[in-house]
Amino acid sequence: MSKQDNRSISAALATATCTLLGSGVVQPAVAQEEPDWDFNTSLLYYGEDGDRVKDFSVSAIARRMFVDDRFLTLSLTVDGLTGATPSGAIRQDVPQTFTRPSGNAAYTVPGGVLPLDDTFKDTRVAISGGWQQPIGETSLINVGASASKEYDYMHLGVNAKYARDFNQRNTTLSAGIALSMDSLDPVGGAPTPLTPMLDVGDTSNRLGDQDKDVLDVVFGVTQVISRNLVVQANYSYSMSDGYLTDPYKVLSLVDGTTGDTLLRTLTPGVEGPSHQYLFENRPDERTKHSLYGQAKYYMNGKVLDASYRYMTDDWDIDSHTVDLRYRIPFGTDSYIEPHLRFYTQTEAEFYQLSISDAQPLPSFASADYRLGDFDAITAGVKYGWRTRNDNEMSLRVEAYRQAGTVPGSQIIGNQASRDNYPDLNAVIVQFGYRF
Amino acid sequence: MGSPCELVCEAPKRAHALRLTGRVAAEAWRIEEKFSRYLEGNIVARINAASGKTIEVDEETADLLDFAVTLYDLSEHRFDITSGVLRRVWRFDGSDCIPGVSEVEAVMQLVGWHRVSWQRPYLQMPAGMEIDLGGIGKEYAVDRCAALIREEGGDPCLVNFGGDLVATEAPDRRRHWKVAIEGDSATEADRIVNLKQGALATSGDARRFLLKDGRRYSHILDPTTGWPVPDAPRSITIVADTCVEAGAVSTLAMLKGAAAEGFLKAQTAAFWCRR
Repeated sequence: MSKQDNRSISAALATATCTLLGSGVVQPAVAQEEPDWDFNTSLLYYGEDGDRVKDFSVSAIARRMFVDDRFLTLSLTVDGLTGATPSGAIRQDVPQTFTRPSGNAAYTVPGGVLPLDDTFKDTRVAISGGWQQPIGETSLINVGASASKEYDYMHLGVNAKYARDFNQRNTTLSAGIALSMDSLDPVGGAPTPLTPMLDVGDTSNRLGDQDKDVLDVVFGVTQVISRNLVVQANYSYSMSDGYLTDPYKVLSLVDGTTGDTLLRTLTPGVEGPSHQYLFENRPDERTKHSLYGQAKYYMNGKVLDASYRYMTDDWDIDSHTVDLRYRIPFGTDSYIEPHLRFYTQTEAEFYQLSISDAQPLPSFASADYRLGDFDAITAGVKYGWRTRNDNEMSLRVEAYRQAGTVPGSQIIGNQASRDNYPDLNAVIVQFGYRF
Repeated sequence: MGSPCELVCEAPKRAHALRLTGRVAAEAWRIEEKFSRYLEGNIVARINAASGKTIEVDEETADLLDFAVTLYDLSEHRFDITSGVLRRVWRFDGSDCIPGVSEVEAVMQLVGWHRVSWQRPYLQMPAGMEIDLGGIGKEYAVDRCAALIREEGGDPCLVNFGGDLVATEAPDRRRHWKVAIEGDSATEADRIVNLKQGALATSGDARRFLLKDGRRYSHILDPTTGWPVPDAPRSITIVADTCVEAGAVSTLAMLKGAAAEGFLKAQTAAFWCRR
């Protein structure tokens, strides 16, 4: 037989195969080699209303798959933060002047307006790397490291997790540990706690660098209940040790009767605070315990993902979080996922709106609204779709609303007529692309 | 079939899965019993023991023989179901035992489809010659089982007989089946193929070879010479609509030796060739 043209071989083979197997309906083959890398990228905008915090964040996670279920994961996130954040000082009917955290300048807030510190501008770069590897048939180990750097803060961390399957892979037990070593180099130096905000140029109450260590331990169990239901429960323990104070937050020192912030005597020719403010102070230890439960329920293509977390800590903050997601497929290539999240927490034992001159100075005090008693709700929707070349895109839009209350017992005199807790509204828009 | 055979299926009910598995297993055993050259009394044994007499074969056997003849023609006589007797002198055990030229020549007297008279359904073969349908039987069994599953309603199934496999359709909750292709050792995957539907077959066995004076002899024998095909790839994996087709393309490519990649590129099928 003469040399066959390669194409006629194909055709001859197809005919011969058809003769051998009969004319059953056979779908054309669809296959491709697993790509070595996959990338998950996202662009995120978080914007609080008014002049408050805006965050533009770009992140990329690259995952390299090796044979036998070994994975290398690398991630990079860059955040650009701008905007102003409540300083902790309360509203006054008159304008208030503050020394900037740098100690180099002052700014003034009009009367009746919540004092915001607008020096809050930063770029944060975070990187992390992780390695996952099976051990034998039923175990999996993950190890990783992370680092992040912003102007006044540096984080270094390591983590490890071990998981083991039991009961024909229907039960997974896991244990993880993470250590984090952070150092802070606040703008202008960390202030000595509970000392007054001083004139511009006066750095006599500033300390050097600070640091804190965090240990996190988590134990978890995941159980497949049925073809449609998977549940998970975790206990986690977190211990922070070191400088846990926010160096940029202050409390107003107020008159024990009127509740108005005490005026300060200014040195002529020197810029400085108009009123008396004390830098906050928090305990140098915090221990948290969390219990987390999650259920994922699959029903005819739709997935309900419900979770609840209870957290309690030795600062007296108790919180409850309920998170609900419901993923509804649209055709074969897209889905829509409504999301609702409810959060509530009690205030820290040392949270106080202001410090009264009629009371002895407390050992710890903070007016940071994030340590107050508040409720928050997040509501949003995510739409995801598969592109023509089989990549995934998603768009998430969410609104966040936080509203808090200050206990009546902490409100003094004229404070009763003012809006004391800085409520917060924010929008979150995220675009994700996976390829 | 000389290798582990498995069916992975996603059926709505346990009873359905069991019935499907039962039917697939029965079909695999039927083909094994009918065409294995290691078993007594089947059609292959009768042909091989005919000592020159003419044998009338059934429809299914005739179909397989016709298909083998097509491959024989398409391969310029390198795919030959009578070449099995070469194994008497070639044992690919990793050693350096290369047979002598005269030993190979002696066995070659019993090799060659051109010595066989095939007038469907009658086959007549000189005494001492043997046929072996092992080169197509496993792939044929996989396709037959896949056809059974489609008949039964077409649940997403993966029929895998020793690495030659068919996916009837993508699994319910995933986009594709992940198929790991063995590398040099059986425990380490060489690559992973995402198979949504269709067939995948691999020819070649990286662990079966002879090594003498620094030269590697692959276990792919050329029945026109009696010697291993020079420069054959270690393994070739092919994706095609059916397993029979995938197996045939990979075998034909193997027999092309150094020209395997060129041959494969001209085919429409997706392929991975390992040297």
